[in-house]
Amino acid sequence: MEMTFYSGFVIPFIVGTSVLFAVILYKYVRWMARLPRRDKLLVWRRMFSVATLKGLWECFTECLLHRRIWRVNPLLGYMHTAFALGWFLLIVVGWVETVAYLGWRFVPLQGHIFFDYFTQGMDHGPRWGIDFELIMDILLLYVLSGLALAVFKRFRSRSLGMKRTTRLTLGDRTAMGALWFVFPMRLLAESFPSQLPLWWGYSIALGVFFVAMPFSRYMHIFTEIPLIFLRRWGIRSEAGREKSFDHFQLEACSRCGVCIDPCQLQRDAGFWNVQSAYFIRDRRYNNLTRYVADNCLLCGRCQRSCPVGLELDTLRLGSRWTLSGAPSNGRFNYARGVDLSSGAAGSGDRRVGYFAGCMTLLSPRILRAMERIFDAAGEPVWWADRDGGVCCGRPLKLSGDLDAARDMMRMNTELFRNHCITMLVTSCPICLRVFREDYRLDTGVDGPKIEVLHHSEYFARLIAEGRLTLKEVGSQLFTYHDPCELGRGCGIYDAPREIIAAVGSLVEPTETRSKALCCGSSLANTAINDIAQVRMAQTVGRDFEATGAATLVTACPLCKKALARGTSLPVQDLAEIIEHHLA
Amino acid sequence: MKKVAVIGGGPAGMQAALSLVQMGLAPVIVECSSALGGKLKDWHQLFPSMTPAHEVLDELTGQIADAGVEVMLHTEVEGVTGQGVTLAGGRKLEADAVVVASGFDIFDARLKEEYGYHIYDNVFTTVDVERMLNKGAVALHDGSAPRRIAFVHCVGSRDEKVNQKHCSKVCCITGVKQAMEMRTLFPEAEIFNFYMDIRMFGPGYEEMYQSAQQDYGINFIRGRVSEASPTIDGRLQIKAEDTLVGRPMKMTVDMLVLLVGMKAGGSNAKFSAALPGGGITLSSSGFVAPVDLFAGNVSSGLEGVFYAGTVSAPKTIGESIDEGAMAALRVAEYLKGRK
Ligand SMILES: Cc1cc2nc3c(=O)[nH]c(=O)nc-3n(C[C@H](O)[C@H](O)[C@H](O)COP(=O)(O)OP(=O)(O)OC[C@H]3O[C@@H](n4cnc5c(N)ncnc54)[C@H](O)[C@@H]3O)c2cc1C
Ligand code: SF4
Repeated sequence: MEMTFYSGFVIPFIVGTSVLFAVILYKYVRWMARLPRRDKLLVWRRMFSVATLKGLWECFTECLLHRRIWRVNPLLGYMHTAFALGWFLLIVVGWVETVAYLGWRFVPLQGHIFFDYFTQGMDHGPRWGIDFELIMDILLLYVLSGLALAVFKRFRSRSLGMKRTTRLTLGDRTAMGALWFVFPMRLLAESFPSQLPLWWGYSIALGVFFVAMPFSRYMHIFTEIPLIFLRRWGIRSEAGREKSFDHFQLEACSRCGVCIDPCQLQRDAGFWNVQSAYFIRDRRYNNLTRYVADNCLLCGRCQRSCPVGLELDTLRLGSRWTLSGAPSNGRFNYARGVDLSSGAAGSGDRRVGYFAGCMTLLSPRILRAMERIFDAAGEPVWWADRDGGVCCGRPLKLSGDLDAARDMMRMNTELFRNHCITMLVTSCPICLRVFREDYRLDTGVDGPKIEVLHHSEYFARLIAEGRLTLKEVGSQLFTYHDPCELGRGCGIYDAPREIIAAVGSLVEPTETRSKALCCGSSLANTAINDIAQVRMAQTVGRDFEATGAATLVTACPLCKKALARGTSLPVQDLAEIIEHHLA
Repeated sequence: MKKVAVIGGGPAGMQAALSLVQMGLAPVIVECSSALGGKLKDWHQLFPSMTPAHEVLDELTGQIADAGVEVMLHTEVEGVTGQGVTLAGGRKLEADAVVVASGFDIFDARLKEEYGYHIYDNVFTTVDVERMLNKGAVALHDGSAPRRIAFVHCVGSRDEKVNQKHCSKVCCITGVKQAMEMRTLFPEAEIFNFYMDIRMFGPGYEEMYQSAQQDYGINFIRGRVSEASPTIDGRLQIKAEDTLVGRPMKMTVDMLVLLVGMKAGGSNAKFSAALPGGGITLSSSGFVAPVDLFAGNVSSGLEGVFYAGTVSAPKTIGESIDEGAMAALRVAEYLKGRK
């Protein structure tokens, strides 16, 4: 049978598809071309390694099955899988069907898509013993069930277990409207193949969807694929600048809104339109304001829940850097008048350095406890803050002032090296994080290795080594707050719990460890005032009060101050607990 | 005779009761502590005239006794309506009107941990200093005389970090007053006041401030103290920024006195309209909010409920007493129109 695979109605589809692929190709090639040299080399080096195979597998589990979304929210997972896997199978099975009925021959794209139109009058009975009609109908029904959920979600987001769903842009609206029509039109057209207007409707729906897609959130359907590979090849966004790689992350966001529910700014303080989904939307469409970029605790709760695994915090830091304008170095000379040479001589025998950090300096109870614990353990310590230490630099980094932050880092590093320490202990998770992520003290690259420990890890070690003996003081019930920078930031969850277990018993609040709530007073948020901070602290406080514990323990001086404003429970640092139990 | 419940027996409550008696009404003072007087009981000499506090206190309590005002001590009020108050334990005290004069609370200086109150021995609050003055025993923890004393203004006032945005108004002048008292006690000592602004709003205050500098040799440094830490020899090192010179500074002192602010009274939250059953309106600072700050400054907006004294904002004793009289007048006007 001679077939032309042409009819007027295929034009919208052909145009749409061409535009779609042209735009996508243009975007991806451009973004790839603009990757820095280092990243390009990484791509070349890792392209032919297991990383690529792992990427393939991840594409399957994430882009088709959407495993991570299932884990966060099964109904939302079902919706995504129904669309992705269902549509994917429709295409694959449709292609096999063409071969089964027409044999091995060239069939243009529209021939596959509008197969039922071009093969009217042909016997559609089973081929090779397979009932393609039935399979295709079932698949279409599967997609339609996902669509029904999607429509339902638009109107009643709570029904999918989400308290909030995102608001739409024009591109989104167009694409979504078209998408809603694609599958019902297909069902109709395939049910009445002789009705040309139905085929026109189907083709137009597809065409409009494809044209709108690269400008809408549906861009995530394709973009997640290169993102997965690039990530597997080791490419990351950077806090210190916006990168071309960021585009892959921005456009891989489906704006599913999973990040909105965990956001305490939304939940407890009533801030709206600043959550990661909105931040990404604004940045993608060049509407980002300083306010949105700054109004984030960088607590990491949303990043933890993002099903696409986007580096939400880093992306935001990159924007803060850009929006902070010209490099501010020199605007404030924070390091003026600091003498690094003082005390260098004669202190070479001291191996452990203690860096309290500004927040601990403002919490003398912790400082005093540290002093007594070092004494009890017989550890001679060099006190960095008393001897030229400057700010760790993280607050500057969080506000986007990376140049000034680097100044601080350079000065402290030089100071640590001058004093020949081999271990650096800090009570502040904020300092700890920057020491670990940015200072490169333990790499041995520019000097002898310096091990960096949070005081909780250091205490756990002292106890394990038998250098610190603790006594029980009655049976005390504690509850513990995971500081964001310590838990999600540095992955330290167990050391503080071990210490508490050594002196009493621990009851956990409802949301704990990697799901723990932020105290609300994060340094990273420069846009909110204390009223909002206290409101968040109060919600967190109620959670802790409900545990029935007598004391709330935390391991961050800032969290300690913040939580004390929101709860009637006494709030203590780990160091104070230990001090109280020193034998 | 119509009955009026007066919550709190501080200067404002006592004056309200006295004025109510004059207007032919029957006040009942409900006071949770063991005696009348409010904070005034604890003060030594009053600014700006250095009048001994007990003179003012005795005068007021004497008049209360003479007028035969009914006083319920050791009785705490838990709830307020226009028809009376609820006492601890749930008992109701019915009344035709209520004057809320439950005053303020002293800011808990331990919340500014960086100043080391209750951590280091020689950190005191202005309240501690008044008590020491009353006992005639102003000294360092070890009983010795301080050689250098620093006063820190605005502790728990004008400070977002501890949720106290308002100016407490009376601490600046209290700081000046106590610095002068210290000078009299320790003629050899160096005395410094670290301030953000000096707020000398009352009659004679500015003159007192000038005299403190010129006649008493007290140094005033503009800048907030950021932290205090112990030195090896048991003294205290404070860090501050001298904002007039534009330079950070460190200073070692023997005694640190924190000018603690006036915080909204703890009772206010219990009386709040936000609670089920309703009540009075609080402002964001936690003080009660009068209907306006002019002719309605002692009216609560809730029928039959009036305010007097520091329950609505930081005030001096004189101002609190004025409001006591004013509240009594408004109560009388209110009751006149009713059967
Ligand atoms: C350090 C310091 C020094 C000061 N020195 C001076 C000075 O020299 N000169 C000056 O003019 N002013 C001074 N003041 C201000 C002065 O203390 C106040 O103006 C005055 O105390 C206000 O009186 P009041 O009646 O409004 O409140 P308060 O004095 O606080 O009295 C309120 C009373 O109500 C009672 N109460 C509270 N809640 C309840 C309840 N639920 N049920 C029953 N009773 C309750 C309390 O026990 C208290 O007795 C000073 C303030 C401070 C902090
Ligand atoms: S009166 Fe002076 S010390 Fe008190 S809060 Fe106001 S400015 Fe600060």
